[in-house]
Amino acid sequence: MFAIDAHDVTKTFRSGWLRRRETAALRGVSLTVPRGAIFGLLGPNGAGKTTLLSILSTLLTPDAGSARVLGLDVRRDASALRRRLNMASGRPSFLWSLRVGEIVALYGRLYGLHGRALRRKVDELVELYELVPYRRVPYSELSTGLKQRVALAKSLVNDPELLFLDEPTLGLDPDVSVRVRQHIARLRRERGITIVLTTHYMREAEELCDEVAFIKGGLILARGTPAELKRQIRLGEVIALKLDPPAVPWLAEAPGVLRCVEEDGWIECTVDEAEKRLPEILRALHADGVVVRNVQVHEPELEEVFVELAK
Amino acid sequence: MSWRSEVLAVWAIVVRNALMASRNVFFFFELLFWPIVGVVSIGLMARFLGLTPEQASFVLIGTIALSVVNVCQLEVAYAVLLDVWSKSLKHQFLAPMGIHHLTLGSWLVGMVRGLLIFGLLAALGWWAFDFRVLAPGPVAVATFLAGCFLNAWIVGVAVCALITLFGNRAEAFAWSSVNLVLVLAGIYYPVSVLPEPVAALAAAIPLTYFLDAYRAHFGFAQEFRAPVATGLALSALYALLAHWAFWAAVQRARRTGLLLKMSE
Ligand SMILES: Nc1ncnc2c1ncn2[C@@H]1O[C@H](COP(=O)(O)OP(=O)(O)OP(=O)(O)O)[C@@H](O)[C@H]1O
Ligand SMILES: [Mg+2]
Repeated sequence: MFAIDAHDVTKTFRSGWLRRRETAALRGVSLTVPRGAIFGLLGPNGAGKTTLLSILSTLLTPDAGSARVLGLDVRRDASALRRRLNMASGRPSFLWSLRVGEIVALYGRLYGLHGRALRRKVDELVELYELVPYRRVPYSELSTGLKQRVALAKSLVNDPELLFLDEPTLGLDPDVSVRVRQHIARLRRERGITIVLTTHYMREAEELCDEVAFIKGGLILARGTPAELKRQIRLGEVIALKLDPPAVPWLAEAPGVLRCVEEDGWIECTVDEAEKRLPEILRALHADGVVVRNVQVHEPELEEVFVELAK
Repeated sequence: MSWRSEVLAVWAIVVRNALMASRNVFFFFELLFWPIVGVVSIGLMARFLGLTPEQASFVLIGTIALSVVNVCQLEVAYAVLLDVWSKSLKHQFLAPMGIHHLTLGSWLVGMVRGLLIFGLLAALGWWAFDFRVLAPGPVAVATFLAGCFLNAWIVGVAVCALITLFGNRAEAFAWSSVNLVLVLAGIYYPVSVLPEPVAALAAAIPLTYFLDAYRAHFGFAQEFRAPVATGLALSALYALLAHWAFWAAVQRARRTGLLLKMSE
């Protein structure tokens, strides 16, 4: 059973009354997401991630194609569907002079809660997101992280079966991001919520998502588990070196080295397998009399995955 | 949807608008300042020009009606404006609510504000100019207020439709176009003094009829036959049209993406 089953969804934005501008945001997206999964949508700015989430959450209507969400058609059954899903964005905005508790309560009422049930829900969510001390603080006076927590709290008022999170950790400090991620994982584990999220952080996608899809230019270029994708795209890993003398011409030709670039005094060598190549390279450098001042090994950045995928 | 969730959705909007109103420091200003300035200056002008008490009451009824309609329609327009200003429109349209919940909820708050203003201006008119607005009795007053509120609802919903259609840049345009309609309704003059094509326009505005009916209680010749019934019928028609326009504008905003653009 799929939580999301979309076929050939297209969306072109037309704006301007006199001079029409057209942007093809989605150019035929087909996607299935199993129930109970955490699914990641990755892609560069303007790829169409937010547009896709907006269509699947019935906020926008697709131009063509079909999409069934929780077994319901996004066009025909929109209002029935709206009761069962919710969305939060990393750039949240709410009525600025309402207080935290009032915001959660407002949306609780809109989703049909009242009286004791409403009060209980608001208490529960305010506690869950550690917003108790801020309950009576106006939204406009909250920090970015607190605002995001309010958005997350709001997105759970109707106990959604499906939750869309658009860049949930945008602009959060690392400590808070980690906690938000743990929380997202817990939502799925404890409440069985299917979660579709977008992110620009590869780390986040790897840590959280059962599967990811890469979207670019309104098309899905690849999908799979993070590990599958890396194998599929064979990006390798990056060994970054700080050397004295700073340039070593033969490094790019060394066995297992796919390419080398210099950046900010670091030489970044993309290799097939860091664990195997690092000792080899270090031995060769030592033999050559090159002093190694610093070494870092890391996985390829998201951008690199895209550069590769776009080829 | 059960009637209970219908009531709840409307109530959610009532609470929202009431809370926002109570938080806004300009609220009292907005609520009181211009209506009072209007009544005082019109009253003084009437005295200066040496208008008869009947003539003065004719103009004052118009001023009070305009104030009540303005305050109420502003609140109805808040149905979308509050969210447009704070860029949070999408949450509302992500929730399972209809536009009638929005317009009804904000209308209820608008009526409370309208009533406050009406009471205040009636008292002010009595105290400063010996003008008894309430003299025609509760039924006539209630009919008159109902007319004002219905007009305000229509105007407010039309503003919502225009803003949802053109985006928040259309705000000024939305206000001026609807205020033009109000001025045509014969606030300060009998519709009969208007030139022919404009008079026909005035006859298409429900407020014209409610003013006509109310002024008849102050001894002015009625210009229309069955003004209250006509006013109600026209109001019902326009309320439907305005809601249809608002609904269509929301559908369009979902297609064009304006709904998202107004939320970020
Ligand atoms: N409401 C809108 N009106 C007009 N064009 C839009 C609208 N929303 C998005 N677009 C355009 O559609 C394309 C896809 O945008 P979208 O917001 O879906 O990208 P995204 O993948 O979410 O990007 P980001 O990572 O920057 O959030 C972009 O070219 C954008 O300019
Ligand atoms: Mg986006």
